Amino acid sequence: MQQALPYINLPFTTTSNGGATTTAVEVPKLVAENAVVIFARSGCCMCHVVKLLLHGHGVNPTIFDIDEQNEASVTGELSKIIGIGEAKAAGRPQFPAVFVGGKLFGGLEEVMAAHISGELVPMLRKARALWL
Amino acid sequence: MNFASTQFVPSRRMGICEPLPQIGMWSDYKENNYLDTSTPAILEVDSRFDNQSEDTSHGIVEPSNKYDQEVSKTNDKQLRRLAQNREAARKCRLRKKAYVQQLENSKLRLMQLEQELERARQQGLYVGGGLDTGQLGYSRTTNPGIATFEMAYGHWVEEQNKKTADLRNALCSDITDLELSSFVDDGMNHYFDLFLMKETAAKADVFYLMSGMWETSAEHFLSWIGGFRPSELLKVLEPHLGPLTEKQSLELSNLKQSCQQAEDALSQGLERLHQILSETVADGLLGEGNYLPQINAALEKLKAMVRFVGQADHLRKETLLQISRNLNNRQAAQGLLALGEYFQRLRVLSSFWTSRPRESS
Repeated sequence: MQQALPYINLPFTTTSNGGATTTAVEVPKLVAENAVVIFARSGCCMCHVVKLLLHGHGVNPTIFDIDEQNEASVTGELSKIIGIGEAKAAGRPQFPAVFVGGKLFGGLEEVMAAHISGELVPMLRKARALWL
Repeated sequence: MNFASTQFVPSRRMGICEPLPQIGMWSDYKENNYLDTSTPAILEVDSRFDNQSEDTSHGIVEPSNKYDQEVSKTNDKQLRRLAQNREAARKCRLRKKAYVQQLENSKLRLMQLEQELERARQQGLYVGGGLDTGQLGYSRTTNPGIATFEMAYGHWVEEQNKKTADLRNALCSDITDLELSSFVDDGMNHYFDLFLMKETAAKADVFYLMSGMWETSAEHFLSWIGGFRPSELLKVLEPHLGPLTEKQSLELSNLKQSCQQAEDALSQGLERLHQILSETVADGLLGEGNYLPQINAALEKLKAMVRFVGQADHLRKETLLQISRNLNNRQAAQGLLALGEYFQRLRVLSSFWTSRPRESS
């Protein structure tokens, strides 16, 4: 269960993988056990934007850094997860990819749209990413 | 006998102003409401005098001789003429007022047209005038995608002006709610069309979009990541939506806040991109060998710019959609009209700015 941390104290990045040693097999576990997970390429600025939006709601997402080494395997794992959830013909996921409550929520566009329409907070609450 | 009155039946077109040549064009305003209210007064005056002259002819007190008859006729004439003068002068003043109003509107329209003409010149549709050819050369010869966008955007602005005028007329007329809702949908879709156009243009040259060369100067001054700032737009719209319910006020307030948060997040993301790009380019300065790897790395980073403009436009679209969800058709129509007029004014402001007399050094 993710803790809702106050905005000011949130560190710049929180990554669950320490570097090249992380394997893609951990992906399903990560998605299942964490309320909000962001998969993004290292240094991606879009990921930064998603993070800031979520921080604004008091959510501290888990971030999985994708680099050249693990990209293929991680993409494979994610496609499996997405495939089970919905019959998405979109193919490989776009990054950053945001998972909420174990399911693919979408990319920055989806998060932005939900933020504006007011649907994001109830969703986060439902996934127990925050309680207030 | 009433022959006295027939001599003084006023023609509506005649007045003491008639001899003056420029008043010819003021006659356009004879259909004006002002004149409608004034004519009954003349008729009243006429009927009063008609009655009086009738009375003097057939009434109890009859002039004893022909001289007295003449005197009373002369008095009638004078009084009638004075009244007609007053009316004519009044009509004149009102016509003048309407004429000046029309002149001022024409001036604004002229500025608008000049601005459109400048745009047409840039697209190479019309050659002439001493504008700097720098922009012209850039858009026409180096990037066909941008040239296409410029032309399409010129049309978009023309369409936008037409739609704004149509919407204004619709709101003034007796229109059904269903018809109004189709106006609203049409107006919103027009903005969404622009975002699609910009998406294509961003792929052709994102820096062209970011530089604001396609916008007028005032629009560009107020812009944020290649277009209008959604939260600013909400502030412009708010007073013109008419009375809002408490629920609507609350939702608008929430929307303003969400917009601000989203804008801040995007702005900060962009700042980070600046940082990263700078670091990437500067990596290994004063080193040996070539710097092609850094250039290639930087190229990859620059691609993110296209996504940023796309996200900003996406935010604009979502904001427009969200605000329309919270409003009824009439409120949404008023909001769209206010928006259309706001941007029109910005374009005209830019024209005035460009053509203002320069201070001599």
